[in-house]
Amino acid sequence: MTANTLVNSKLVCVALNDKAQLAALDATFNEAPYKKPPTQPVLYYKPRNTWSVDGAEVEWAKDFDGNDVAEMVVGASLGVVIGKETCRVSAEDALNYVAGYTIVGDFSLPEASYYRPDIKGKCLDTSAPVGPEIVAADKIANPDALTVTISVNGELKSTFELGNMERSVAELISIISRIMTLQAGEIIAVGFAGDRVAVAKGDKVEASIEGVGTLTNTLGGA
Amino acid sequence: MRHARIIFDGRELDIDIDANDRITTSEGEVLDVALDSDQITWLPPVKEPGTIFALGINYADHATELAFEPPKEPLIFIKHANTLTGHKQVSYRPDGIEYQHYECELVAVIGKSGKNIKREDALDYVAGYTVCNDFAIRDYLENYYRPNLRVKSRDSLLPMGPWIVDTADIPNANALKLTTTVNGKLTQDGSTKDMIFDVPFVIEYLSKVMTLNPGDMICTGTPHGIVDCQPGDTIVCTIEDICSLETRMVSEQEYYGDKY
Repeated sequence: MTANTLVNSKLVCVALNDKAQLAALDATFNEAPYKKPPTQPVLYYKPRNTWSVDGAEVEWAKDFDGNDVAEMVVGASLGVVIGKETCRVSAEDALNYVAGYTIVGDFSLPEASYYRPDIKGKCLDTSAPVGPEIVAADKIANPDALTVTISVNGELKSTFELGNMERSVAELISIISRIMTLQAGEIIAVGFAGDRVAVAKGDKVEASIEGVGTLTNTLGGA
Repeated sequence: MRHARIIFDGRELDIDIDANDRITTSEGEVLDVALDSDQITWLPPVKEPGTIFALGINYADHATELAFEPPKEPLIFIKHANTLTGHKQVSYRPDGIEYQHYECELVAVIGKSGKNIKREDALDYVAGYTVCNDFAIRDYLENYYRPNLRVKSRDSLLPMGPWIVDTADIPNANALKLTTTVNGKLTQDGSTKDMIFDVPFVIEYLSKVMTLNPGDMICTGTPHGIVDCQPGDTIVCTIEDICSLETRMVSEQEYYGDKY
C-alpha cells in the first residue's frame, strides 16, 4: 500500500465501456459462457494493495511459479473523485456529488475472458497508480468530452474519446450509487479504451487528459 | 479469547470476551452486561476493514446444487466495507426480485502483512476466525466478472460477527459444524470439512498475486442448503466454536429510509 495514495477506501473500475469494443465483441458475448451482452455496467475493484501514485514504479508481475510474466498491459481512465456521501442519486444530480477528477492507470495481465473476476490479472501490487493530482470539478465543464491518451516511451499508443463511452459519467455514478453508497474520496475509473496497450519492463508510461494532467509511471523488472 | 467491537452506554468500544463470557474493554474496564443483552449494539468485528475476499462455489455439494463443476482453482471476488454490518443488525432485500439467499461462511481475518506466504505458514498470518452471511441476489447475476458487483457489493449484505475467535483457539477450522436457521427452522446443515479450498490454500494462492494486509478478510464460501429470504425473516448463521450471527431482513424502503 502506498501511504500517500489519492484513493480513499475504494477504487471502482468500469470495464467494457468502450462502444467500439462492445461492438467488436458482440458475437463473442452472444456465445457461452456469456450467452448475452452485458445489460449493466461491468465493474471491478482495484483493491488497496494496488493503489499507487504518479511517478512510482509499477512492479513487473510474477507468475505462480515465481517467474516474471511474459506480458503486461495498461489502460488509463478518467478518475471521478466522489465529494460526499452518494446514495441512490439520479443521473441528473450525479455530477453534483463529484469533488474532482484525476487519472487512474490500470496495469494488468492481458485479459482473455471477462467471465470470472480477474484476481490474478488485476490485483497486482502497485498496479493502480492514481494522479498526478485531483483537479476540482468546477474546472472541468463536461467530463464526457475529455480524451484519454497513453504514450509509451514518448510514443502515442492509445487515444480514447470519452464521448465513445457506452455510459456517461453521470449515468455510471447513478447506477453504482444504487448498488453501493459511495463516500468522499472514493474513485470511479469510468472507462478504458477497449484495446489495452502492451508494455515491457522498464517502459515509461504516460497517461494524459487535457486539463487533468499527466500520470507518469515506469515499469519495474528492467 | 474473543474480540469484538460494540456500542455500549453510548460509547464505541473494543472488547475482549473470555471463556466465562466476561467482557473487558481495551482500557481494562470490566462491563457488567450479558452477551445477549439488548444494551449491546454489535459492530462489524474488524476495526479497520481492508479488502474482503470471498470465495464462490467452494463446497463440493454447493457446486452441485448450482449445477457447476467444482472449480480447479478458487473463484475469488472482492467486496468492500460498505457491505458490512454487525450481529443483530438488518440487511435489505431489493425491490422487485425473485430470489435472495444467505450464505453462511467461515471468515479468516488477516493479522499481519505478507506476500508469497507458504501454505504451511499461512495460519501465522490469520488473527482469528469469525462468521459472515454473504447474501446473494440471483436475479442480478450476469456472466461478466460473475458474481458481479450488483449481486455481491450491496450495502448491508455482508453481516459479520459478532466476534473474532483467536486462531489458536480453533485447532482445526475444517472440522466445524455450519448451520443456518430461518425463523428458527433449520435450512442449512453442513460442515467446514467439505470446503474445497481451505484457508491456508487461499492465503498461499492470493499472496502469490498480491500482498495481504491486516484487516483483510477471507470469506470461504457456503455449503448446500440455500433458500429465499423475505423482509421480516430472521436468519441465524452459526459455525461451531466460532459464533452465531443473527440478521433481520428488511425491505429496501425500510433500509434506506429518507434516501429511498
